[in-house]
Amino acid sequence: MTPAACDCPAFLRRLSPRSREPSTAHTRRPAGVVSVRSPVTERFLRCFLRDFLSVMAELQPSDSGRCTYFFLYDGSKVKGEGDPTREGICYFYPEETPLDRQELLCGQLAGVGRCVSELSLSPVRVLQLRRNKFAIRMKDDFFWALGCSMDVPIVSVCELLDQLIDLFTFYNGSIRQSYQLNSQEALAARWAQYLSHLQSGSSELHHIFSCLRTIDSTNVDPLLLLKAALILQACQRCPLVLAGCILFRGRVVSTQMFPELTMKVMVHESETYTKAPRSNGQSSSSPSGGAVSSTTVFLTLSELQYLQSAPVDKDFSSHSTPHKDTVPPRKTRLSRTLSDMASTESEPSDPGSPPSPQKVSFSPDSTFSPVPSQSLEPPFSNGKHSHEAEEEALEESYYHSFHSNGGGGGGGGGDTSVFEEDSPLNGGRGDAACGTVFDFRESRSGNEESRDDEVQEEACRGGGVCGSTGDPLPPSPPPLPRSGALGDPEESPLVPMTLYMHRVKGLVLALLVELHFLSDTAATEEVYHSSLASLNGLEAHLRTISPGPPGPPGPYFFSHFDCIQSTLTTNLSGGPGGAPERPFVRATSLLHSHFCNTETLQEAIIRSAGAAVYGTRSVAQETFFQQHGASLRNSGIPNHQDSAFSLPSKARHRLLKHGVNLL
Amino acid sequence: MWSGWSKTGTTVKQDRSCVSVVQMKCLLIASESAEVLFHWTDPEFQQNIQEQYGASQEEGQGLPAFEDSISTLFAPIIISCSTMVDRLGDNYTSFTTENNHIYVLHQFDECLYIAVNGDGEEGEDDLRRKIYVMKKMIEVMFGMVTLSSNLLRKELRPQDTDQRARLWKHLQSLLETYSHLRENDQSFLVEAVERLIHPTLCEQCIEFLERRLVQQLNSSVERAGEEVLHAFILVHTKLLAFYSSRNASTLPTSDLLALIIMAQNMYPSNVDLEDSGPEDVESTSGSGPESFYTPEPSPTDRDSSSSDKPVRGSTPVFEFVDPDIQMAEDSLRTLEVPPPDPSTPRRVFLEVSLKEGLYPMMPHSMYCLPLWPGITLVLLTKIPTTAVAMSVYTFLEAFANLEKRLSQGQEGSAATRGPPTIHDIRSKLDKFIKALGPSEIQSAQLQNVWTEFKNRAFTRGGPGFNKHLIPWCKHMKTQLCGIYRQCFLIDSGPADIPRRLSPSLQERAQTMVQEKLMDWKDFLLVKSKRNITMVSYLEDFPGLIHFICVDRSTGQMIAPSLNITERTTSELGKGPVARFIKSKVWNLVSTTRRYLQKGYSTVTLRDGDFYFCYFLWFENETGYKLEAGDIPILPDDSAPIGMLAWDYYSRKLLRYYSKNHQGEVVKCYELLTVHLGVIPTEIILQHCRQLASKLWEPSRNPLL
Repeated sequence: MTPAACDCPAFLRRLSPRSREPSTAHTRRPAGVVSVRSPVTERFLRCFLRDFLSVMAELQPSDSGRCTYFFLYDGSKVKGEGDPTREGICYFYPEETPLDRQELLCGQLAGVGRCVSELSLSPVRVLQLRRNKFAIRMKDDFFWALGCSMDVPIVSVCELLDQLIDLFTFYNGSIRQSYQLNSQEALAARWAQYLSHLQSGSSELHHIFSCLRTIDSTNVDPLLLLKAALILQACQRCPLVLAGCILFRGRVVSTQMFPELTMKVMVHESETYTKAPRSNGQSSSSPSGGAVSSTTVFLTLSELQYLQSAPVDKDFSSHSTPHKDTVPPRKTRLSRTLSDMASTESEPSDPGSPPSPQKVSFSPDSTFSPVPSQSLEPPFSNGKHSHEAEEEALEESYYHSFHSNGGGGGGGGGDTSVFEEDSPLNGGRGDAACGTVFDFRESRSGNEESRDDEVQEEACRGGGVCGSTGDPLPPSPPPLPRSGALGDPEESPLVPMTLYMHRVKGLVLALLVELHFLSDTAATEEVYHSSLASLNGLEAHLRTISPGPPGPPGPYFFSHFDCIQSTLTTNLSGGPGGAPERPFVRATSLLHSHFCNTETLQEAIIRSAGAAVYGTRSVAQETFFQQHGASLRNSGIPNHQDSAFSLPSKARHRLLKHGVNLL
Repeated sequence: MWSGWSKTGTTVKQDRSCVSVVQMKCLLIASESAEVLFHWTDPEFQQNIQEQYGASQEEGQGLPAFEDSISTLFAPIIISCSTMVDRLGDNYTSFTTENNHIYVLHQFDECLYIAVNGDGEEGEDDLRRKIYVMKKMIEVMFGMVTLSSNLLRKELRPQDTDQRARLWKHLQSLLETYSHLRENDQSFLVEAVERLIHPTLCEQCIEFLERRLVQQLNSSVERAGEEVLHAFILVHTKLLAFYSSRNASTLPTSDLLALIIMAQNMYPSNVDLEDSGPEDVESTSGSGPESFYTPEPSPTDRDSSSSDKPVRGSTPVFEFVDPDIQMAEDSLRTLEVPPPDPSTPRRVFLEVSLKEGLYPMMPHSMYCLPLWPGITLVLLTKIPTTAVAMSVYTFLEAFANLEKRLSQGQEGSAATRGPPTIHDIRSKLDKFIKALGPSEIQSAQLQNVWTEFKNRAFTRGGPGFNKHLIPWCKHMKTQLCGIYRQCFLIDSGPADIPRRLSPSLQERAQTMVQEKLMDWKDFLLVKSKRNITMVSYLEDFPGLIHFICVDRSTGQMIAPSLNITERTTSELGKGPVARFIKSKVWNLVSTTRRYLQKGYSTVTLRDGDFYFCYFLWFENETGYKLEAGDIPILPDDSAPIGMLAWDYYSRKLLRYYSKNHQGEVVKCYELLTVHLGVIPTEIILQHCRQLASKLWEPSRNPLL
């Protein structure tokens, strides 16, 4: 794939030709194995990164949302009086910063941070200077600081730092261990990579709301979204598959994971994206090699618990109990059952969300049978047919997979009836959106739980809290006590899993799978073959969709943030330095901070000389709206005929056509 | 329930339950060398520090030990601050910890202020405001001495530990008084003066102050050269009458608010009394003023604080970096600690605007005469030596300007351009020093430094005006501040020539006003609690819960009383409900200030069951509403928006706005309202409009 075809930001494109080698080394690394790289490569990589980061800085000079500093400082390396500060600097961005300035910042900030946290008996979370604001994380002897310019809300800076650290942990495991196992340079490259990934949001709004980039669903046939969801569900039939998501050119098509996890997975996607044609780099155990890659990732216990408590599994385990014959599946199932029970208690609403029905009826054994994968061969070979043929093939493949699986289920009458009952729901065109809808609902209910878990865990290991942001949100149910989560903070359990990726050109199927999935040939083949044809079909469809004409922007600005799915809808052009948009973005940033800090605040209108902006929020969303051209000439004295006060009703009407319902 | 997703809120909540909570408050002033110049801590903070330091130091030694530990604990922060300034040109403004402790830092010259809150009741803005208010109080107390960090350091930290303890106690009590007012008094919430709304009585009182009181005082021989400029009567914190003599300049709101804090600190409104309903006041009112007067809980503190000026003795020798420049030692004679004298006025430094220009921190004497508990007469007098202060200020300003230009790299005549020209200053300063000569003021050091300065600056072939003169500008400033300090901070002069209104004159003034107000006393005390009430507005403004209207041009506010005591039932109901609404109002004010700081002059919020509005607008003299214009956007750590510590409205907002309205008098108004959320927005806005147009016409407003 040519880099030009990517949908990724400019600097990643620049990165692509040269970055292959180092990144490949990264992906090749099996779990827990140290990747040894020659010093030459390291030097090259560092030089390259420096170049590319400085290029990035030049490209975005006016974009104030960018981080100004980021560093990780290991206080344990600088204990004695004589120890130079530089010993403790694990990573410093921008890398071209002179060493004495690096030392100054690390030394002073870490020192002050320690002093304050001793005084208050609590780690520092935010440290502000006159010209920079830093989100801080202190854990054990590590000290992270992420600095942004003053106009980024501190809520967002804290969030960015948390994401960054979580990303690192996701791909590398615990910080201390990674620094014991890997060279500082190798890890520096990763910090740089994660940092650039997180900052790649195309507009300033992306710095305010950390959001998932999704495909523009207004342009996409809902049926395609349904198909994507079905592919994921089909994969999930393999008990070793926890959850998955489908990405297209760096954007989410469908996901079974909660937004934070999806975001993490996307880093790897964008990384492998650029080097997809090279097949030698992957730890490939798939039948076809090439398009499949995998890497080890680390989930927190709470993330894992959430994934395992997906409603589908509950039914699955209860239904399939009689079918259990073989030992390995029983094992996995047993553990799921336990965690499911725990989560059922905390989520009474769960049974209400529809489980993926087709899954319910099949035993895992049938999923593993080689028969269905063979039946999928024809559509695969037809993959390059015309549009319609493909569509047919796609549908056929589902048909096949349902039926073949249904058949494999042992022909139990009950199974078939379940399938038939549910097929209209999934197959019916009119209900096409249903699949996506309940997919979201699923993640919604789970999200909350997992958030609680994370929160608890993070709080207990002394990190992850944005202290400055003030008021807590409405009371959430007390988190369940979990073994491990309350234990030694350093040992806060990270569970190694495998991130499996199957790429079909711009389309990627990413699955979180158990570690032994890769060694289970039957499982890998099954997942590979059952999804391949559908992926091809889906890719072909998505590729042909041209991003329809952007349409007249309308005499207003709006942005709509879906807090549940972490998605942002906006009609801003998004380019940096859009002067007319500045007042809107500024107001949005202020209002978002206010919403974050005041749980009871529902709506607000704020007016400066240049702009009146309306913001409204519910538990599920935040929406901001500004009308252009409305005469702002007024005295500022209260006046009910003032155009600013008609913003709420205007927003309600105008935004309906963008699918934003404020009623 | 899904909002648990919103990332930050939950985490905070979780954290609170996980981490042990230490609630503590502190305000610290430190020099660059981490020397503690002042500290105020609440008991929790003190306990926390002592725990961290173990029991070894806490017993027996009290203050010094605690002072040591506090300075040790904060030293790394203080030193890091100067490192950051020196090497990065940036400085810390705040820290927040995961258990929501907030630290706000601000550096004024060489003094670093650090304010800490650990109970979540004060935000960053509140702490910053506290710092600025502390600085304001110090300016009112020490005047232009604050312009020399070196002198101020010695002023704030007298070497004599008793004296230091007394001074700090006084400052601590001022700070506590301020905090109490800010948390409980609406006029200190919005930082504007609240008048008692009773036009007839007010008018009578003003007339009385003018025709009888001030006239009589200023014509008495017992006034010892002082001249009463302003006289006002306070009922608790509310102003009953304010009179300024004809040749006095306007007293800025900022100074007036600071004086009210000082008066409140001297004669605090008794908390019990405040909690009692009007009936209780009624029942006790029959007794005479003396029996009604609640004695101070600790008379020694009170006395010492009200007389710490004359007590000042054994001021330490100044240690300058340059040993050649020794400050004249003015007060080596050790003064016996005189018996506290309640008639001793307080020296205050207030802004004066004259035809010649603006003179900040001009010395005045403040006489605070209690009439009855809760009712106080305050007299502000001009002292005979004011002219010296004006000269010193002129010289200080000239040297500061010169220093600024020199450090910008200008040289020669470019650096010395006026007005006033350096030659002007030269001749004036020569005369000034000559005039000081025969007086008791020790001006030898000033003379020496000035001679040296002249040698360097004016000698033909000498170095002239270039950057090498900068340190000498600094020396001159220090010496001038030293002269100022001798003149106005130290009660020099023979003890037999009292420089104040004689005690009998003060007593006479007190009696006169007491007689005048005797019949009104009880009414006034009740009125101050029920200045205006929401009852009068309920009919015309259904759904309106509360409002505050502020005229920023005059620095005055109107708001219905918020009584939140358990015993009294107000329109807002009893205790908890009223407290809840009060907290909403307090939050609203800080929220709208944040938006105003970022340039938003209209804010409406739907929050829970309430609908809040905030409007700021401008009018010209005739009441014509001017078009809303650009409002400056200030950085997060800018001076707090208000009028007490720094008058945002006149210094920033009006100056900015008036650029497009030159030659026009621009007035600035603010209105905050709280409505029930169920009221339709149009109605709410109509209410706001009516309130905005009616409130400032009290005579024509039937509601008042």
